[in-house]
Amino acid sequence: MRAGGWRWAGLAGAGLVLLVAAFAPLLAPYDARKIAGPPLMKPSGEHWFGTDSNGLDVFSQTVMATRLDVLIAVTTVLAATALGMAAGLAIGMNESGRGGIGVLARAGARAADFVQAVPAVLVGLVAVGLYGSTPVTITVAIVIILMPMQARLVRTEVLQVRGEAYLDAARMAGTSELRLTVRHVLPNVARPAVLYMSVLFGVSIMLTAALGFLGVGVAAPTPEWGAMISRGATDASLGHWWPALFPLTVLILTVLAVTAAFSTFQQGRQRR
Amino acid sequence: MRPWLHHNGWWLRRLLLLPVHLLVFALVAFALVRTIPGDPVLVVTGNQISDDQYADVQRRLGLDGSLAHQAGEYFGRLLRLDLGDSLITGRSVTEEFGSRLPQTLELAALGLSVSLVVVLALSAVVLLRPRGVISRLAMAYARSAGAIPEFAVAVAGIFVFYASLHWLPSPLGRLGPDDPVPTPVTRFPLLDAVLTGNPQVVGSMLLHLVLPVFAMVVANSAVLLRLLCSQLEVELARPATRFRISTGAPRWVVLASIYRRALPATVTMSGTLFGYMVGGAVVLEGLFGFGGMGQYLTDAVTSADLTALQGLLVVIAAVSLVVFLLVDLINMALDPRRRPGSGGAA
Repeated sequence: MRAGGWRWAGLAGAGLVLLVAAFAPLLAPYDARKIAGPPLMKPSGEHWFGTDSNGLDVFSQTVMATRLDVLIAVTTVLAATALGMAAGLAIGMNESGRGGIGVLARAGARAADFVQAVPAVLVGLVAVGLYGSTPVTITVAIVIILMPMQARLVRTEVLQVRGEAYLDAARMAGTSELRLTVRHVLPNVARPAVLYMSVLFGVSIMLTAALGFLGVGVAAPTPEWGAMISRGATDASLGHWWPALFPLTVLILTVLAVTAAFSTFQQGRQRR
Repeated sequence: MRPWLHHNGWWLRRLLLLPVHLLVFALVAFALVRTIPGDPVLVVTGNQISDDQYADVQRRLGLDGSLAHQAGEYFGRLLRLDLGDSLITGRSVTEEFGSRLPQTLELAALGLSVSLVVVLALSAVVLLRPRGVISRLAMAYARSAGAIPEFAVAVAGIFVFYASLHWLPSPLGRLGPDDPVPTPVTRFPLLDAVLTGNPQVVGSMLLHLVLPVFAMVVANSAVLLRLLCSQLEVELARPATRFRISTGAPRWVVLASIYRRALPATVTMSGTLFGYMVGGAVVLEGLFGFGGMGQYLTDAVTSADLTALQGLLVVIAAVSLVVFLLVDLINMALDPRRRPGSGGAA
């Protein structure tokens, strides 16, 4: 596909996903938590995506699950990016400092590196086990997992910017260190972190779905992609493909669309 | 002795820091269990218990006495590698992890190895024939990084290759119903099967591993491929490459030089990838009926098994720290400038 086609497909897809997430209750023809027909009906005009082994309408479930998963993903990505930028700036600006702050900043940098080697799914499992499987727990856990990724990225950028002459100039002019960081450093280091949000979005969706797939995600009657795929997997091994295929396809297309939409920003900026 | 210490200090120092780091994480696990909402004793047992039982459960959770007393008990047992007994199953957490963790780690390691081989091979094709069909497909795949979850590939794989085509065995364990179970020697199942030396068992086990490993590789390799290819592109354009070519070095020497310069980022990423693979293994074990950490952990989470979860935190930290250490050491070996105290120019 041409780069332009990829770009518009991504933007259109991401827009569509957001619209579906926003108006999910209006789009779902049946109540996603109540039995809508006989179990395991093939996709038809009445049930577009068929029904699952409990007789729930797969289309309604998929639409409602989109709302929940996308909401969690968007919230976690925004929160993790904001917190990660703050942490990355704090670490990067203080890393070569003397005394307690410098030591703390260096420890923070090492810790952010280390967290990359920790299996995220297991962190999610522990969080859910200790604090209960509510959407709030899952959101907080994912923010904690994603934040170091942004912090690391921003820190690397800060280290490159830190020696620039315009910072010294601003210091000479009597700008406070905080104001300097926010006004002059942040605008120059934010771009990679903003572009990286598409990767975080994917990771966030995967984690929510993986916990749901394991059966410890958002509690049972609430429709969620991972839980739907997990239940559909049992049907799939008996030859009933639709309860798993539809949420699975929507999940993959959602992440692909958001990734493509973000890659257009990257290309758009490079061309200028 | 002195010069030897001087030359090898870089990895010795990192190795000695390992127990210190582990201690920090053990402390975090200790603190986290004490921050859970509500009374842990009631969380574990439900509400209907007598005072005697209450005290007993509290003691067995390690939550009796002062905080200092609790910490003393906890670290004392940790030094003896005792993670406590689960209140739910009544079994030793250390033993459970000891028999289950190797299975999960083996699956993750298999996934990582296959993934590395595939990524290295594909990256070489992309480097040598950037306009070829395989390269285009590989780059399209790399662009999908992070969009395909392993359980999606696995469910689709089970449907196509087991339910429809019957090419692969049923996803109900590591072995067929008639295969003898190899005697546990190392507790790594495939390694045990190889050590027992029964080709039928090894073959059956490999056949059962095809789908889960395939799913993990498809789901997680794209990130690594994208990173390695972009690094290779950067290193290809460096003067060092032109120098190699202009000296008339054979083609493979030029390639080796490009790869050596591009590898550190990939090694770091492999550490992250191993983490993904462990997560993927935990997610897939239930689906394929493998008895690793997966089922045990989901049970521990649903039954609020605090002892097991506290132990899990320590074990996650230990495994991740070892991986992190290996990544650092390999990178320092590849690129001496990364060694601490080398002044950045060795």
